[in-house]
Amino acid sequence: MVSSYFKELFDKVNQGPLAYILITVHVIAGTYLVYTEPRSNLAFLVLITSFMSLYFFQADVRFKLFVGAVLALVIIPVVGVRNIFYLEVIFQISVFAALALGLNIVVGFAGLLDLGYVAFYAVGAYLWAFFGSQQFYVLHYAPGTQPSDLPFLLPGDAFYMFLLVGVVIAGLTGILLGLPVLRLKGDYLAIVTLGFGEVIRVLANNLDKPLNFTNGPQGITPIQRPTMPDFAVDWFNTIFSPLVGHPISPADMYNLMFYIYALIVIIVIIFVTRRLDDSKLGRAWTAVREDETAAIAQGIPLVRMKLTAFAVGASFAGVMGVLLAASRTFISPESFSFMQSIGVLTMVILGGSGSIPGVILGAAVVTTLNLQVLQGFSLYLNELRQSDAVIPVINFAWKDLSTQLDPAKYQKLFFGLILILMMIFRPAGLIPAKRRKRQVAPEESK
Amino acid sequence: MKRFLRYINVYELIRPIGQLLTFSVGSAALMSAIVVALALVLDQTAVGVHLMDKLNVTVFNYTLSNLPQVVIDGLTIGFVYAAIALGYTMVYGVLQFINFAHSEIFAVGAFVGVELLIFLQSAGVLAGASLFMAYAYLLLAIIMGMLAAGGLAVAVERIAYRPLRGASRLVPLISAIGVSFLLQDVIRLVEGLTTGQFNRIMPTFGNFDERIIFGKLSMGASKLVLGISIKSIIVIVVAVLMLVCLNYLVNATRVGKAIRAVAQDMPTASLMGINVNRIISLTFLVGGLLGGAAGVLYALKFTRIDPFVGFFPGLKAFTAAVLGGIGNMTGALLGGIILGMLETFAGSYMGIFTMGAAGSEYKDIFAFGILILVLIFRPQGLMGKNVGQKA
Amino acid sequence: MALLEIANITKTFGGLKAISDVTFSLDKGRIVSIIGPNGAGKTSFFNTLTGIYKPDSGAITFNGKSLLGLRPDQIAARGISRTFQNIRLFADMTVIENIMVGMHVHYKQSALAILFRLESFKKEERESEQKALRLMKYVGLKNVENELAKNLPYGAQRRLEIARALAADPQLLLLDEPAAGMNPQETEDIIQLFRNIRDKMGITILLIEHDMRVVMNISEDICVMDYGVKIAQGTPAEIRNNTRVIEAYLGRGAVAGQHEEKMQ
Repeated sequence: MVSSYFKELFDKVNQGPLAYILITVHVIAGTYLVYTEPRSNLAFLVLITSFMSLYFFQADVRFKLFVGAVLALVIIPVVGVRNIFYLEVIFQISVFAALALGLNIVVGFAGLLDLGYVAFYAVGAYLWAFFGSQQFYVLHYAPGTQPSDLPFLLPGDAFYMFLLVGVVIAGLTGILLGLPVLRLKGDYLAIVTLGFGEVIRVLANNLDKPLNFTNGPQGITPIQRPTMPDFAVDWFNTIFSPLVGHPISPADMYNLMFYIYALIVIIVIIFVTRRLDDSKLGRAWTAVREDETAAIAQGIPLVRMKLTAFAVGASFAGVMGVLLAASRTFISPESFSFMQSIGVLTMVILGGSGSIPGVILGAAVVTTLNLQVLQGFSLYLNELRQSDAVIPVINFAWKDLSTQLDPAKYQKLFFGLILILMMIFRPAGLIPAKRRKRQVAPEESK
Repeated sequence: MKRFLRYINVYELIRPIGQLLTFSVGSAALMSAIVVALALVLDQTAVGVHLMDKLNVTVFNYTLSNLPQVVIDGLTIGFVYAAIALGYTMVYGVLQFINFAHSEIFAVGAFVGVELLIFLQSAGVLAGASLFMAYAYLLLAIIMGMLAAGGLAVAVERIAYRPLRGASRLVPLISAIGVSFLLQDVIRLVEGLTTGQFNRIMPTFGNFDERIIFGKLSMGASKLVLGISIKSIIVIVVAVLMLVCLNYLVNATRVGKAIRAVAQDMPTASLMGINVNRIISLTFLVGGLLGGAAGVLYALKFTRIDPFVGFFPGLKAFTAAVLGGIGNMTGALLGGIILGMLETFAGSYMGIFTMGAAGSEYKDIFAFGILILVLIFRPQGLMGKNVGQKA
Repeated sequence: MALLEIANITKTFGGLKAISDVTFSLDKGRIVSIIGPNGAGKTSFFNTLTGIYKPDSGAITFNGKSLLGLRPDQIAARGISRTFQNIRLFADMTVIENIMVGMHVHYKQSALAILFRLESFKKEERESEQKALRLMKYVGLKNVENELAKNLPYGAQRRLEIARALAADPQLLLLDEPAAGMNPQETEDIIQLFRNIRDKMGITILLIEHDMRVVMNISEDICVMDYGVKIAQGTPAEIRNNTRVIEAYLGRGAVAGQHEEKMQ
């Protein structure tokens, strides 16, 4: 009832010039709010939801692309440099969106539940962490005992090559892991992939002996970044520093650079995903998801198709892993826990499995929830705790509230709730996947 | 007495005990033979030299003198796994669905039991309790853990799984993962708000920590004491009792017959007048009861529990269920025992056998190796039937 | 030479013989039915033929080449398509996509062509779309190409399944109870469709059917199975008068058949 009322209202608004005006107003309002209130979470949420306006309102594609480009390439960098936390949020959204898009191929398209997806992310990350740091020369030292003057194995600019190597190696790992297990029925596969995820984490934790490959739980640092050309800093400074209000430091420039790289990777991933989806491969994946027996009877080689899905999904995670290792300059096993895998799965399920805009939305919602909403709540509760405020009716003083009640620490609870509620009430997700409508030209009679 | 006995199917009481005995002795003998043989071989290599330098003992002697303790430990944890695995396998048998949240059901059982005992301790009852009372309290804790876990399992099925029956297979599985995550944090939240800490320690009382000593062995420089702790005996006895009861319920009662009928063919069972929903609830209840008891036993054995305590035992029990042939109750017992043994053997000997390169830190992922091997070479499990795929 | 030759195949499930020593051959261009009471092993026979089950013993030769040891998808690629007893469409895909999946074995598009939308890829996609449309028309589906398969009415789903099977350009079409649940008019239409498929496309048809009107009307040859054993094979007239068939299975069916003949 209520939702249909809103839908009608939305449809009424969503046409003609009004849609253009609303998009523009949303973007400008968001920008203004964030610019004037650089510390406000709410202002940032207004800005970031303008991507949703952009997606949902009907407008010319060229207009949308233009506004999207201005948002991504001008507005976000400027407000991001003014408050680096925003840039961090956006960067994490991008990283998780890429992971969610990769997992979407496996879960959403091919219907294979992979609970150890971050294993491939870890493969990419440790790949660059090993070759892009001094780790090669640390092989024979126990963690923490190496001399400090060891050289680096490769120059930082090898990073670009390793983006490709990451794709290949993670894809190969996907095939290698997939080969024995992809013959299994769906739910066995889930548990075995979970196991693989744990195996990778345990290996990362323990492969500091007999040879020190991963430096154990302490992780690998420093990992190199690609060099930043001076002219890029100068160029950016001349154009943007008036807008930002202060000169931009090289550290900020690095953050910007990785944000841009993440954007590029996502665009490539979306491009690849869409093209694959709309080909014999995508159709075969979906057919396998819908009914394996019928699919194989149509001549679709099940194992090969599943392996392809696994490999493609894994390679997306691999490239993001390399990017993450370089941008953080530090990698430890903690970033690749089972919870991360479920987090990415939650994004896919929440947004809409099989739906590209859906999983991006899912990644954005879950990441903002994690980084901003829950943190914001925690801060707010902390403030209340330090005040003398009392909950009126039940006469409960806020300062007696247990410090254990820190929403930021209860991500699992929210992931779990999201998964259960989505499955019961909206299994297709916030933006359900749509099948493409084909307009087939009537053929000339022969 | 005689009349009473007529209603009891004695065969179904004895059969599972026989099975458990066979499985325990068989897997213990097999594993021991393997490690002893390995040890004999390794004595000829650098491994033997290394150990001789370090501890002044041959690998063979070291292996042999540790063996009884390893077998007992393996058996104890194996029975815990078996009890949890039964929960997975029963639900799978009836619904063809992996109850991913079963590991948290187990954890809730552990927490309820431990919290009860902590409460009793703080009330001062535990400290001076007689031996009889100590056992009574432990029993009470086990029963409370069972009830809480059983009730929770039924509630979870009702809320998060039943509405999804008939949806595609992934849907309830994802919901179950959600429940698992949710419960972990709910435990944490409740514990955090009420006690302010997540790690709970099982109170020490009674004579559970005492060990019955069989004998002493001197090995090189060090002396080795052979024995079994009373709590290990309790774990084994309680687990065996539960397994026997469950077997009796499923194989020798009317309700059990209904459970088996629903597992065979749900639509037909419902046509025969069986209330399928009630049987499914009952299955979850029984699985939950077992899981809860296993939780308290686990806490008794390992003392320390935290909200994530269910994760690894749950995964391993699932592995055990698959190893034995999921859906098959005898298989779950066998799988649990074998896995417990394998894991304990690997944890105890791998470090020595590989000269410390890979030790017990790989214990937790050892189970997955087994799982993958089983699924590749014998996907139906050790005791599962090869069922033709329906087209 | 026969298109399909099956020699002494046996398939058991844990002691139960689903198919027992069945020998059967099928000539090119014929329409042949397999009948038999429920549980006679008909669907198991199809499943063995299409590689879902591996026979315990015996030989299956198609076009002179053995099919033993091949995976179901490889057998499909050799030119055997099938439909299922309980319709198995790709429910959440559109009608046209279902048919395009059926063409899977014929696609030549490479990864490169897919990623860069090369002309060869676009052409192949266009052609397969049009072929799908032709097949839709052929089986009698109109203007539903963008409907989801699950939203089609029952009869249309059966037709779609046939169109999907035809999309692979098979030499042999296996139909598992294609007329089940259809009303007399629909049954009449579908019989016509099968004749058409055989006559115009030259596709050999092997079908499992319970509806004796269909079987007697369309088959040139009928194979009768009971308890996994082939108990008779012959023309409809022969089968109708075969005492063993009447005894073992047709009993009531034969009476009904004769009754129908009188009505006509």
